[in-house]
Amino acid sequence: MSLDPDLYESMRLELRRGSLVLAVLACLRTERYGYTLRQALAADGLEMEESTLYPLLRRLESQGLLNSEWREEEKRKKRFYVLSPGGVSMLAALADEWRGINASLDKIL
Amino acid sequence: MDLIDRYLNAVAAQLPQDERADITAELRDLILSRFEAKEEALGRALTEDEQEAILREIGHPLVVAARYRKGPDSLVGPELFPYWLFGVKAGLMVLAAVFALTLFIRVIGGSDNFGQDIAQAFHGFFGAGLTLIGAATLAAAIFEHQGIRPAFLTRWRVKDLGAFGLADPAAWGMSMTGTEPAQATKPSWMPRRRASTWPGGEYLFSFLATGMFVLWWIGVIHFPGLMSIELRGEDALVRGAPIWSILFGPILLYAFAQMAVDLASLVRPYAVRARAAARIVVAGAGLWLTWVIFEAGHWFTLTRDGETARIAGDWTMLDFDTLRNLGDGARDLVGIASTLSVVMVWVLAISAISLAFRVLADLGRLARGM
Repeated sequence: MSLDPDLYESMRLELRRGSLVLAVLACLRTERYGYTLRQALAADGLEMEESTLYPLLRRLESQGLLNSEWREEEKRKKRFYVLSPGGVSMLAALADEWRGINASLDKIL
Repeated sequence: MDLIDRYLNAVAAQLPQDERADITAELRDLILSRFEAKEEALGRALTEDEQEAILREIGHPLVVAARYRKGPDSLVGPELFPYWLFGVKAGLMVLAAVFALTLFIRVIGGSDNFGQDIAQAFHGFFGAGLTLIGAATLAAAIFEHQGIRPAFLTRWRVKDLGAFGLADPAAWGMSMTGTEPAQATKPSWMPRRRASTWPGGEYLFSFLATGMFVLWWIGVIHFPGLMSIELRGEDALVRGAPIWSILFGPILLYAFAQMAVDLASLVRPYAVRARAAARIVVAGAGLWLTWVIFEAGHWFTLTRDGETARIAGDWTMLDFDTLRNLGDGARDLVGIASTLSVVMVWVLAISAISLAFRVLADLGRLARGM
């Protein structure tokens, strides 16, 4: 039976959605601004739309998981994000959960 | 103003005032970074079309701004949607029943323009239906926006779920007659226990019906043909007497009180004593209203071609001889008004008696607690 491309796309996006937060938190162990963060994610195979990434950064910051500051770089002011102490703990906990899910799925698959 | 400013202005207009400058500054940096990366790849400055293509990739300003919104991004979210759908379905079914009944009454009343009656019924049904859907959506949007979750949505119990079967019209008959579907799989020798009827069904119906009355009473919905009667092929207009204007507020309050009792009963169908006490108060108010309406003595006026006749009455009409002679009068405007006057006197009397019985029954429930 042939694969329904629309259904596959919607299920693929659903599968990815939860993992993006983890990827963003992991990438922000190093301080970055939005544009370079998106490039870093894309370089590791996780393309993310700007209209999703930027609001997500603000949400994570409002949840106390990120710190941010405006700084001038390359003659322009940019907002740099990095994990807060709370974000570091959250990343560790979520990474453990992710590895657990991965191990279970590996057994099932 | 260049493309970026125009784009950012459109985004900024959708954002909360306190976050506007911060978000647009960050978006400006993002856009300029994208432009610079593309220019570097091409080795030249971008044309306006190429710049616009990048802005389109970033997203429409309304979509981009919406992603920053903190509240819900839909009028009826996935959590509330099943309840919204049930309310709308049940409401539309009640409306369909009301309009079908109105149409039926007009048809058996000897209407000579059946086509127009059907058109009016459909027109009224769609108008009222759209109002109902709008009101349900507005209520759901307020719930969504304010994060309100009434207790009956979150603390439901399995035994309270009977009313939800009423979304299936086939269940209405069973609910009204108390019959159950055939249980083919149950051996005949097993004792048949009558399923206990969930009282919530009654309250849900009462709530929806009273809600429809309130919408009609305040003029939100109209039932075409309700205020006119067919008389020898001509429409006679029915006008309310001054007593209805005087009692507009009290009747509205009475309906709201009835709805509040129904709603409370839906939430806690087994709080027997509290409901009985509330129903006694509401029924008492109903008795007072019935008394005031009866005492007014004049309830409606029929008008046709400048001729008028009053629908009015008093205690003297409350005898069985008058009732037996009902319909024997002349078929002119005065005769019809006279017949309707007797009907109205008896309707008020029966209403008062049923309210009095309700008070007595609820006094019993209050005492027994069951």
